Amino acid sequence: MEKTRKIDFKTLGLRDALDLAMLIEEEAMDRYGEFADSMELHHTPAAAKFFRFMKGIEQLHEAKLRGRREELYPNVPRVVTREMIYDIEAPETHEPRVHMTARDALKISLGAEVKAFEFFDAALKQVKDPGVGGLFEELRNEELEHQELVKKMIAKLPPDDAGDIADYEDPPVMQ
Amino acid sequence: MKEPTVLPTYQAKDFKSDLKPIWCPGCGDFGVVQAIYRALAAIGRAPHDIAFVSGIGCSSRIPGYTTAYGFNSVHGRALPIAQGIKLANPDLLVLVAGGDGDGFSIGGGHVPHAIRRNLDLTYIVMDNQIYGLTKGQLSPTSPKGLHTVTSGLGSLEEPVNPLLYTLAYGAGFVAQGTPADMAGLAEIIEEAIRFPGFAFVNVQSPCVTFGEDDQQVKAHRAAMKPLKSIGHDQTSRIAAMDLAQQYGQSLHTGVFYRNPAPAPTYDAQVRERQQAMAEKAVPRERILDMFVQK
Repeated sequence: MEKTRKIDFKTLGLRDALDLAMLIEEEAMDRYGEFADSMELHHTPAAAKFFRFMKGIEQLHEAKLRGRREELYPNVPRVVTREMIYDIEAPETHEPRVHMTARDALKISLGAEVKAFEFFDAALKQVKDPGVGGLFEELRNEELEHQELVKKMIAKLPPDDAGDIADYEDPPVMQ
Repeated sequence: MKEPTVLPTYQAKDFKSDLKPIWCPGCGDFGVVQAIYRALAAIGRAPHDIAFVSGIGCSSRIPGYTTAYGFNSVHGRALPIAQGIKLANPDLLVLVAGGDGDGFSIGGGHVPHAIRRNLDLTYIVMDNQIYGLTKGQLSPTSPKGLHTVTSGLGSLEEPVNPLLYTLAYGAGFVAQGTPADMAGLAEIIEEAIRFPGFAFVNVQSPCVTFGEDDQQVKAHRAAMKPLKSIGHDQTSRIAAMDLAQQYGQSLHTGVFYRNPAPAPTYDAQVRERQQAMAEKAVPRERILDMFVQK
């Protein structure tokens, strides 16, 4: 499955790479926000709370990259777009479930961090520009750190309720 | 990186409305709507130049989640309404969406007529093989043997094959996608919109609540066979029909058929006829004279 369209990593420069990294964070931020909304609508508060928290984290990452980009390339318009990337750090749309636990939500997030690590790792093998190489290596290593953080959060969780999620009712949602 | 000289006018987020989808978490339709946003961004038409018509069902909520003009209409009647809209305002880009029940059961009789008229419409069916909104009844594309609330001992009926159905009636563009391949699905929808005439896209969009486990997105990813990878000739209707017979057994994704010489659309012919008649038409101020004896 393709993860990018119209991006040639061999010729990718630092400005576009920074923009791409920001878009990856933005995509993840939006997806976590959508998941949180969906969980709130479907009476799944623990997962909603975690996804909302993750939205905030991705927002911070995006802001950090944006600051760096503005410092290096002030007022230079962006030429890469969101349509060029597909679910790189964003968890996939089909993953949440109604009545999922906080643990289930954290596992989705862990999967997304692994996916992002694999993306930067694979891209690094094609990248030629040393600046882009440095950035992607840094981002790849950050994904590893994030994985460890999520694993620690999972370890701290109390045991899940022994009930089956199918036993809980999901009352109809009005719109 | 090679820089585009012209930046796209619209981005996917420009087509996303503020309405929050109420689909069950994990529904395949979440992926479909994302693919639609991306396809529309690639097309580059303004949201106010697009009309999105649907019938009734979970997937028929989709127009509301876009910034295009939306009409969540009557069960099974999305196609006649869309045809009316296209004829009344040919400049609009008209998309039609619905589920397999809406399209091939309640609205099944409208599909052949929309195809033979060949208006420039893109019809996206989210085929989940079940009536999900009404809590899991047998639908026209449910596989034989499926246990549902209306087929407790297993369905005795053969399913409708949407690909073969639309190919047999002469659709100029027939494709299939899945949200398991978002990039592929967005590309298919974009191609369908660009096709000049009736274009049909069957999207295998799993129902997370009442669907079978082997029909969920992860299973699709493992099972899907992109047509590009098997060297399928998309200009051959016969080759397309041959492959379409594997519906339900194999998950082929991509363009099954694209008419290499698309026929004139009904809407274009209507406009031509209107122009021809306008030349001979009596001026407005003389219309009454036709009915008054002097």
